[in-house]
Amino acid sequence: MESRLSSVLLAAVALLSGCSWFHRGEQAPAEVVAEEPQGEPSVVEPQVTRRDVKTPKIKAKDFEIGGYYGALSIQDFGVNPVYGVRAAYHVTEDIFLEGFVGRSKAGTTSLEDVFPEITVVSPSGRYFTYYDIDLGYNILPGEIFLGRGRAFNSALYATFGVGDVHFANQDHFALNFGVGERLLITDWLALHLDVRDHVFETDLTGRTKNVDNIEAIFGLTAYY
Amino acid sequence: MRRLLALLLLLQALYVGTAQAKHALVQLVVTQPYLEMRSGPGRGYPVVYVVERDEIVTVLYSRTDWYRVRAAGGQEGWARRADLTRTELTSGEPAPIPPYPDFVTHRWELGAGYGVFNHENLVTIWGDFGLTDSLDAELVVQQAFGTIDNRYMTTLGLRHTFIPEWKWISPTAGLGFGYQYVKDREPPAALQNSNQMAYVSLGVRGFIAQRFMWRADWRKYVVFTNQNQNEEPDEWKVGLAVFF
Repeated sequence: MESRLSSVLLAAVALLSGCSWFHRGEQAPAEVVAEEPQGEPSVVEPQVTRRDVKTPKIKAKDFEIGGYYGALSIQDFGVNPVYGVRAAYHVTEDIFLEGFVGRSKAGTTSLEDVFPEITVVSPSGRYFTYYDIDLGYNILPGEIFLGRGRAFNSALYATFGVGDVHFANQDHFALNFGVGERLLITDWLALHLDVRDHVFETDLTGRTKNVDNIEAIFGLTAYY
Repeated sequence: MRRLLALLLLLQALYVGTAQAKHALVQLVVTQPYLEMRSGPGRGYPVVYVVERDEIVTVLYSRTDWYRVRAAGGQEGWARRADLTRTELTSGEPAPIPPYPDFVTHRWELGAGYGVFNHENLVTIWGDFGLTDSLDAELVVQQAFGTIDNRYMTTLGLRHTFIPEWKWISPTAGLGFGYQYVKDREPPAALQNSNQMAYVSLGVRGFIAQRFMWRADWRKYVVFTNQNQNEEPDEWKVGLAVFF
């Protein structure tokens, strides 16, 4: 049954293709080419090239990177210079994510001052190194006026985060609270003044307690 | 102080370097009745200049949702993103303001958070790359602060988001492997201070706004030790992330 059907189909195909034989010599209407008048060359030779318009990209400058220097009050160990680097990513005009890496060196405790033979922390353990990751919020954006002709954009912001404090050869989980003021000298260069607290639990001085390590830092950052 | 000065010089050098790399700027035609330019990139800053319809502004760069633009007369200010999307290129095409990344189909994600690893505080950061809408590869670096030890962990894994179209809350599950390094706070030292580990995870994720999202995860680890028993710590964490 199947072979008979296919032979019928084959015959049909052969017949149909044979039909084109009868049209040989005739020109199909679709193939008619409009003849140009002889001796009169076309005035315009169209040469169309594709135009690729490349739109430049708008650069986003949402990153802020810089350094800072200031004073860190290490609880029980006096106030000492601190320095570090900071980087922020501005997600919206209100919210930013920020990271800090900083270092300071602790002084001596009062106990060590009075009794010089006592050592609370070894010399290598006096380095106070920290990192933290924070979420920041621009609470009071605004402008600061300097005289009559100058205005600088500014913002008072608060940050909250978590991080690590490496002190006395131990790592401590620390919570960070900060308030800062950002002043943009130009649109890409900002001055910062921050007060930040690194809170962690330690038993370094005999009993377990939470210590507050407050720093006041002065920073300079650039936007990228 | 010398370090600070060196840093300043470096910053300055970097900035000059990037500023000199000239690139073409986008020019847009104002098609609305006017375009407001503010003194700062925020909704509270005063409008300092207004560009009229059919005038051209040059877009210098963007910061969050604001664009630094320069009017034909040289006046500069910040235009709102929503206003600029209603302008056109000089060719008549719509302004090339990139749309917000779509939460469902986003590719990259960068986040940080807090957690508890085996009753210890945990600080975590992660990077995430979407292989498909529902399958991600995640790289996590974290530090757990124990009372007797301190461990650093790096894991690499795959995570499946069950219903990625559910924007506000969507369950996830994952598995992966990693490596931990244990640093002791107090003697005696651990028998091993570096181990391989594997984990399974269950979690949820959700959209917050614009390019912000949150995640919460539970993980069960198997830490391969050279002792008779492997460690099986578990971990909880929550975090915020930015997606691109």
